[in-house]
Amino acid sequence: MEQPFNEQSSLQLIESMINKAKNSFSESGTLYLLWGVVIFICSLTQFFADRFNYENANYIWLLTWIVAIYQVFYLSRRSKKEKAKTYAAEMIKYVWICFACCLFLCIYVLIYKKAYDSIMPVILVMYGMPTFLTGTIIKFRSLIVGGISCWTLSIVSILLPNQYQTLCVCAAVVIAWIIPGYLFHLKYKTEQAS
Amino acid sequence: MEFKELDPILHSQLRLAVISLLIGLKEAEFTFIKEKTNATAGNLSVQINKLKDADYIEVTKQFKDNYPQTMCRITPKGIDAFEKYVQALQSYMNITK
Repeated sequence: MEQPFNEQSSLQLIESMINKAKNSFSESGTLYLLWGVVIFICSLTQFFADRFNYENANYIWLLTWIVAIYQVFYLSRRSKKEKAKTYAAEMIKYVWICFACCLFLCIYVLIYKKAYDSIMPVILVMYGMPTFLTGTIIKFRSLIVGGISCWTLSIVSILLPNQYQTLCVCAAVVIAWIIPGYLFHLKYKTEQAS
Repeated sequence: MEFKELDPILHSQLRLAVISLLIGLKEAEFTFIKEKTNATAGNLSVQINKLKDADYIEVTKQFKDNYPQTMCRITPKGIDAFEKYVQALQSYMNITK
């Protein structure tokens, strides 16, 4: 492979290697599915608890802390297996770190200010941001649609009575995380098989 | 039209393959590059050293889970050389058309 080669084959080689680098980014969809299902369960439980005046349902949200701890282990294990780091994956990582910090701070501020009615609409606005950005970075239409749906649902949720806002969160996580997560999973399985 | 000379360091199949791969990545393991270029470990190692000597790539050797790991990443000089190489190729292709 040391000998020089012609200009046409140089261009072909550059193109093929750039494509190989581009294809090295793969997403299994595990975290999208996991978070989607957990938030769906929490929101739906919260909805029924509010409907039947059961006061201790808030504890269901502790599930998110368990998932967050699992995610740390999952990501550290995945990072050890990674043989190459793409710029897209780096950008996406910081987008989601930014999301987690903003979400935590927003919820804290809203609880501190006793603005409980605004929590769900703000959560929906926040969900839309990383979903939309990730979709545009990796050109994945389902995530872009998911991000826009979160923002639309946040507007819808402020028009609804308080207890129905959690149903908007259920719908948002199905569109923004569960469906894209499943599509990622299918794509990942196909890539692994080929 | 002026004909630009092709960089002899990059105008070699394996070295160009390595640089073209690294241009799209933040960093990559030696084994990843070997897998994508279908090169032998020995040959790849020699070519990586040549790219490193030219300051086109940065090579970091470390340990991961008690196993040695060689990470490669392209340097700003390498990016510049790659861009100039592509421009030179394009000018050459225009002349030969």
